[in-house]
Amino acid sequence: MSAVLEQGVIDRSVAVPDTYYDKVVLRLVQFSIVWAIVAMGAGVYISAELLWPWLDFGQPWLSFGRLRPLHTNGVIFGFGVSALMATAFYSVQRTSHVSLFAPRLAWIVCYGWQLTVLLGGLSLLGGWTSSKEYAELEWPFDIAIALLWVSFGIVFFGTLARRRIRPIYISNWFYGGLIIVIAMLHIVNNLALPVTLDKSYSLYAGAQDAVVQWWYGHNAVGFLLTGGFLGMVYYFLPKQAGRPIWSYRLSIVAFWAFVYTYIWAGPHHLHYSAIPEWVQSLGMVMSIILLAPSWATLINGIMTVSGAWQKLRTDPALKFIVLALAFYGLATFEGPMMAIRSVNVVSHFTDWTIGHVHSGALGWNAMITYGTFYFLLPRMAGRALYSTSLANLHFWLALAGTMLYIMSMWAAGVSQGLLWLNLDETGELRFNFTDIMAGMAPYYGLRLLAGLIFLLGTCLMAWNLFMTIRGRDPVEVTAPDVDPLYEVKR
Amino acid sequence: MLPLRALIAPKKTCGQLAASEPAAMTIMFRYAIWLLLMPPVFSWLGAYFFGWRLGASEPLVLPAATLTLISIGYFIALLFGFISTALISRWMATTYGANRQLGRHFAFITVIGAPLAFASLGHLFPHVFLNVVILIPAMMWSMYLLYSGIATTFDTVPERGILMASALVGWLLVAAVSLLGLSMWLWVAGIGPSLGV
Repeated sequence: MSAVLEQGVIDRSVAVPDTYYDKVVLRLVQFSIVWAIVAMGAGVYISAELLWPWLDFGQPWLSFGRLRPLHTNGVIFGFGVSALMATAFYSVQRTSHVSLFAPRLAWIVCYGWQLTVLLGGLSLLGGWTSSKEYAELEWPFDIAIALLWVSFGIVFFGTLARRRIRPIYISNWFYGGLIIVIAMLHIVNNLALPVTLDKSYSLYAGAQDAVVQWWYGHNAVGFLLTGGFLGMVYYFLPKQAGRPIWSYRLSIVAFWAFVYTYIWAGPHHLHYSAIPEWVQSLGMVMSIILLAPSWATLINGIMTVSGAWQKLRTDPALKFIVLALAFYGLATFEGPMMAIRSVNVVSHFTDWTIGHVHSGALGWNAMITYGTFYFLLPRMAGRALYSTSLANLHFWLALAGTMLYIMSMWAAGVSQGLLWLNLDETGELRFNFTDIMAGMAPYYGLRLLAGLIFLLGTCLMAWNLFMTIRGRDPVEVTAPDVDPLYEVKR
Repeated sequence: MLPLRALIAPKKTCGQLAASEPAAMTIMFRYAIWLLLMPPVFSWLGAYFFGWRLGASEPLVLPAATLTLISIGYFIALLFGFISTALISRWMATTYGANRQLGRHFAFITVIGAPLAFASLGHLFPHVFLNVVILIPAMMWSMYLLYSGIATTFDTVPERGILMASALVGWLLVAAVSLLGLSMWLWVAGIGPSLGV
């Protein structure tokens, strides 16, 4: 059987059932957890630097400007993408009733991705940067990412193409959308002229560069941090709840509405800038429309989980999913609201934006991933979770950390927006920028505390899951028979 | 006194609520309306006498007429939030197998909102960080009341109560952020501090 898997080719004339290939899934989960701790640790450190700037010890590589992209890239590409790759590989096999296509390529994707994130992170510390937010890595890494991403797509779509069941389950639509759109965004946004190994210049200039960058930036949020993780929800939520998704039709409608709407929303990052006003207005309107498909999924999730209340007694993972849905609702409402120009004029450039990002990143992305890992690892290990009490403690730490974080950033952000724009009787700005920022120190203290609480919870999860999986290989699972009504005849 | 009793003995109060069929309007005018008036009144008094202290070197002082407009807007937003939350709670009740008696939903939202209303005493000295520090434990107490009392009050099983409470938390977070967005919109429209926009 393993020889068959290694070749990535299945001889269907032999009636041998497929065994799912989960070793690469487990390794990606482990890498994801390591990146969560490293990248969130970097986040905590830079939040401390905002309180005590001397923490950079005069070292450029420890400065806020270099550690901040390490934090964001580590969380998004290390923690987030590794988790997405793991769950995509896990779920596409089970929803296609076949083993993973080209497992060797999957291993190349797994280790190649970790190496790219590691070296890319070091290059950021070394000062290599394209200066584009969430796309800071320089051209050698951009090429490596493009190649690895296409390889990820080959493994995923190759598995899907060999599926034994005719319908393509909704989670695969979202994962597929993630792979195709991120490839497109990454390649187009990073088109550049290399001048040295560590420096390149964008093919776009001025306002066009900004438009392309935020077309990339916002859709990276949309198709990676939202769409990709919705793929995770649509597979793992019904599994955890032990019942089908509440409305499959709604999920399909939500997917296509989501894909159509999200791609237009990027210009809301450029309100009151040099880009044409109609482009800004279009971005704002599409952002508001986006609320409909986002909340369609929210309703689908809530209604699915509402029928599985008995599971809350025994399954700590389900709590994370329930809470993740609440924060998903918040973040997907807050985003469109902040895209309204008359709100954005106050909120833009303030810490409210940071709070908004973290209500999504901590409350939605991290919580849904944690819930999925708590579901996945005991099943892969073939034994119960090492400690349910630790998982419950982690839940409360994650909730407290997230709430404290967003509340402190809301207060700081609104204060900043108000003070920066406030005029005196003569029509001059009333307050000095540095004074205002000095006044933010207490909020930054609260934010540091919130980050520490959240990181502590993540470390507890790492320990809990390590003890659960320790010394075990993934349990071998054989693909079940397919209902003849839906079977692909070859 | 329902809100005070709920602060001290939440479980007993929720048990009493479950055994009663209060009328929505009685709850509204006997308890809720006074709690809803507290934050805007305290906010007006604090801002008038001390000015908004947002972290800059000097406080932001606004004319009484502007403060009155802001407080009226604040009250309307809270009133809308209270009624809509009670109605949404009742709407959710069917999904979670909870009691749908409207008065009970009004009473329960009054109970969980009470800590926040009392914490609005902090508005009397409108230093934003001080208010954040006061409101965070108040909010935690509100969430405790929500999660611990919902199943008892609405005669449902604890697990379904947790799910319903989480759905309400989602709604309340959205309501809170809406209040922020609405404030920005009003300020930019000229109702509030003088902004250079």
